[in-house]
Amino acid sequence: MSNLSRRSLLFAAAGSALAACAGPGGDDEKSTSTEGFDGPVEGQLSFAHWRAEDKDVLEQIIASFVAKNPKVTVRQDISPSNDYQTTALQKIRGGAVGDAFTAFRGAQFTQIAGAGVFADLSGQADLLSKYDGKLIAAGNDKTKQLGLPYQLVFNMPVTNVDLLAKYGYTDLPKDWDGFLGLLDGLKAKGVTPIAWPGGDAANAGQLLNTMVMNNIPTDDALGKFETGEVKATDEWFVNTLKQYAQLRPYVQNGANGTSAEAAAQLFATQKAALLATGSFQAGAVRKLGAKFPLGLYAPITTTADKAKYEGVFNATFILGINAKSSKQGAALAWLKHLADPAVAALYANGTSQHVTVKDVEYTNEDLKSFAPWLTKKTLLAPRFQFNNLDVRSAIENATVQVVGGTDPAKAAEAAQRVIDQKK
Amino acid sequence: MKTGRRALLGFYSLIVIVPLLVVVGGSFKTTQQLFDSPFGLPTHPTLDNYDTVLRQQNLLRVLGNSITVVAVSVPVTLILASLTAYAAARLPGWWGRVVFGIFAAGLAVPAQAMMIPQYVQFDRLGLRNSLTGLMLINVVVTLPVAVFILTGFMRTLPQELYEAAELDGAGAWTTFRKIAVPLSFPSLAATSIFLVVMHWNDLLYPLLFIDDPAKRTLPLALLDFQGEYLTDYPLLFTGVVVASVPMVLAYAFLQRHFVAGITAGSVKG
Amino acid sequence: MKQKALLLFPVPALVLYGAFFVLPAVQGLQYSTTDWDGYSPSFQNVGLDNFRRVVTADDQFSNALGNNLKFLLTVVLGQTVLALFLAVLLAARSRGSTWLRGLFFLPTILSSVSVAFVWKFIYDPNFGLADQLLRPLGVTSSYLGDEQKAVFFVGFAQIWFHAGQMMIIYLAGINQIPAELYEAARTDGAGRWQQFRHITWPLVAPATALVVAYTTIQSFKAFDLILGLAGNPPRSALDILSTRIYTTFANNQLGYAAAESVVFMLAIALVTWLQNRATRLAHR
Repeated sequence: MSNLSRRSLLFAAAGSALAACAGPGGDDEKSTSTEGFDGPVEGQLSFAHWRAEDKDVLEQIIASFVAKNPKVTVRQDISPSNDYQTTALQKIRGGAVGDAFTAFRGAQFTQIAGAGVFADLSGQADLLSKYDGKLIAAGNDKTKQLGLPYQLVFNMPVTNVDLLAKYGYTDLPKDWDGFLGLLDGLKAKGVTPIAWPGGDAANAGQLLNTMVMNNIPTDDALGKFETGEVKATDEWFVNTLKQYAQLRPYVQNGANGTSAEAAAQLFATQKAALLATGSFQAGAVRKLGAKFPLGLYAPITTTADKAKYEGVFNATFILGINAKSSKQGAALAWLKHLADPAVAALYANGTSQHVTVKDVEYTNEDLKSFAPWLTKKTLLAPRFQFNNLDVRSAIENATVQVVGGTDPAKAAEAAQRVIDQKK
Repeated sequence: MKTGRRALLGFYSLIVIVPLLVVVGGSFKTTQQLFDSPFGLPTHPTLDNYDTVLRQQNLLRVLGNSITVVAVSVPVTLILASLTAYAAARLPGWWGRVVFGIFAAGLAVPAQAMMIPQYVQFDRLGLRNSLTGLMLINVVVTLPVAVFILTGFMRTLPQELYEAAELDGAGAWTTFRKIAVPLSFPSLAATSIFLVVMHWNDLLYPLLFIDDPAKRTLPLALLDFQGEYLTDYPLLFTGVVVASVPMVLAYAFLQRHFVAGITAGSVKG
Repeated sequence: MKQKALLLFPVPALVLYGAFFVLPAVQGLQYSTTDWDGYSPSFQNVGLDNFRRVVTADDQFSNALGNNLKFLLTVVLGQTVLALFLAVLLAARSRGSTWLRGLFFLPTILSSVSVAFVWKFIYDPNFGLADQLLRPLGVTSSYLGDEQKAVFFVGFAQIWFHAGQMMIIYLAGINQIPAELYEAARTDGAGRWQQFRHITWPLVAPATALVVAYTTIQSFKAFDLILGLAGNPPRSALDILSTRIYTTFANNQLGYAAAESVVFMLAIALVTWLQNRATRLAHR
């Protein structure tokens, strides 16, 4: 190649690079099939999600799906949950992956819904009828059913039932003083009362759910920090922080620097009685070798008569179909397959998570022992009402700092300052 | 002095080795054993982690992809950057500084600011989800570093050498090839080591660009061991060992050329 | 100009760099005067409002800047001194130093994600190595959980990660020093320290400038390491500028993130310029 043509090639490359750059919102319209949900069940389907730990169970489920629909293959496109928030979303929006995909409840769902990526599932009566109607409300955007939350988890501390029973705690306290008494009693026996992964923001924040469930003035209060209707300096929140401060002696050594893995390890080896994260860690705790029965228990932050809720649940892993996908027929068939009670049972028992699908038989021991909570008075996890990450961080950061020794009132003020700046 | 030197080097060697041993040792332990005795030797060494890692991942494929990308992107970056650095070091007056400045400014740009426009750009050109695209982006984003380091070194080479060559009638190209490149061998070797490491370990762009599992690179494959709530340390450590072996081997094999190349020339006191 | 051909040398690099780096960067940064969320079809122009907020009314940003400067100072000082020290000790060619060079370089070849996991493990207050070594000496800490010191602990991990890389730059620098200079000095009866002080130190000035500038940029961009150690988004005690910008992006405030990026670039430019002056003075 002569020098000249080589050079012109480079400039041609530069020119096309220039042409390829996008303006704001300048998403090119990928061809969308006109057939929509009536499209054929064939081709390669991309299922985008963030649960690397579910990969094997989902492979089994895919195998049974493909056995029924031989013209289709399903590929799992897994990104870790951190990256799922940013990079995966970009790809799903562009239609590069995720003919069927999942979203977190809260900010992400709202955002994807706002960007118009969910195909409307409202008309799919036979699919929706497989789910417990109350539990899929989190996939509802005003009037449309855009997504179907699949997992049902309890974002409340997990207990070591044997260890508690050994020290005489079979009926767990129903008020704050009783709770502190329990922690004190455990500490006196040389047990770390609470293992709390304060060093890992995503897991540390789970405790906020139960700490506020009976303190919040209204059930949707956490979402109102962003609008200014609720302030971090409000009495109820400062009181919540003061209650966090009371937990200081009862969390493990160096709680603020403890990772989720180390906290789970303390709990699994019976060094700690409570693991302040949620039911979703049951499977991981078992993998760490825990043999004792697991229970759930939420601290009640008020007196017994004022407690509205006993615990917290969340409906997440919201399944949706990509409005940009040309394989919506196959994606719908995949969602229907997942909604089959037998398939849902395989998923639930294999991953130690309850599901929102009706008539599922739980055989997994932990799911069986958590099952009573399905009918107790529980609040839909308030932590996921935050739509602004900075506001959520400010609030959760205040709780971590307070456990680390910061004065509750000061932490509340600092958090509110940030929130005011972010509105 | 001699014993002092030995003691200091020995101490630092320990600081470097111990964390590495945790990784290697951990890859032969179960999670329980790892937490029970993180720094001890594995009492009941298990190969389960290796079995899982090698079975779960199409590792040969992944490894092949990483090697292909690096094998192209590193030499290309090195050639483009050394040409640029040479010009930056030798162009008279402001010219050299401008060339250097344009690239050096790139060092300050946070990747996050370019991420989305680059995604759209590569998508439209059909370069996303391809190894070619990865090679191209590797070259482009590391040009600033490479130009920066190489210019720094090429400026220190004595100008008289070039001028002598040019008096003999050598053109710019000949002077570059016959004088600048051989004399810059230490810095070229150092830069190529940096580039290999950066291209090999890059996670951001593979994460952004690659959808197809058959086109994944090693760092991307390692992410599979990061669960939503917990990371499986032994599996991750195993993945780290497996991912590092080719680099260690390459390093051991090439170090005669590279590290020796860096120390080519004279013996110091 | 005698060598017109020289002007063509940077052209291929400039073309690619211009097309795939400068262009997207300019595009990404042009939103700094808007409130674009990153996906909506429309946005408002807000003038310099974003910049005003970044500079004067964003505690999270100024907190990240403060952390970043602490981190930077720790790493630049610690890593540069260590790297030069190792390079001087290992400059001589011998079997032993070849091996040690290889060993010290080894951490660099690990990916930052894995380095983060290793150090998270070392710093664990209940199981970690740091605790096992220091507890007998009566030192306890929550390490990454310590509001004040956490950023220094991350700095130490960063030094462990990259000191070997900077050692390589110094080795390259030392080896471009003509051997005759040392021979002459030895003939004059100069000791090791004097040789270092009067030959090595002044002549590695370009390498020092490189190491310091490169370390600075690395410290501003130590993004994977922080996210790996602190989680995403990191707690305020471990938030640095790059993670802050990333969080702003993840928070769908693309316009504001672009403004933060511009301030970030100015900060790097300013710090690098100051350092350049300082390095020149130090090497006089």
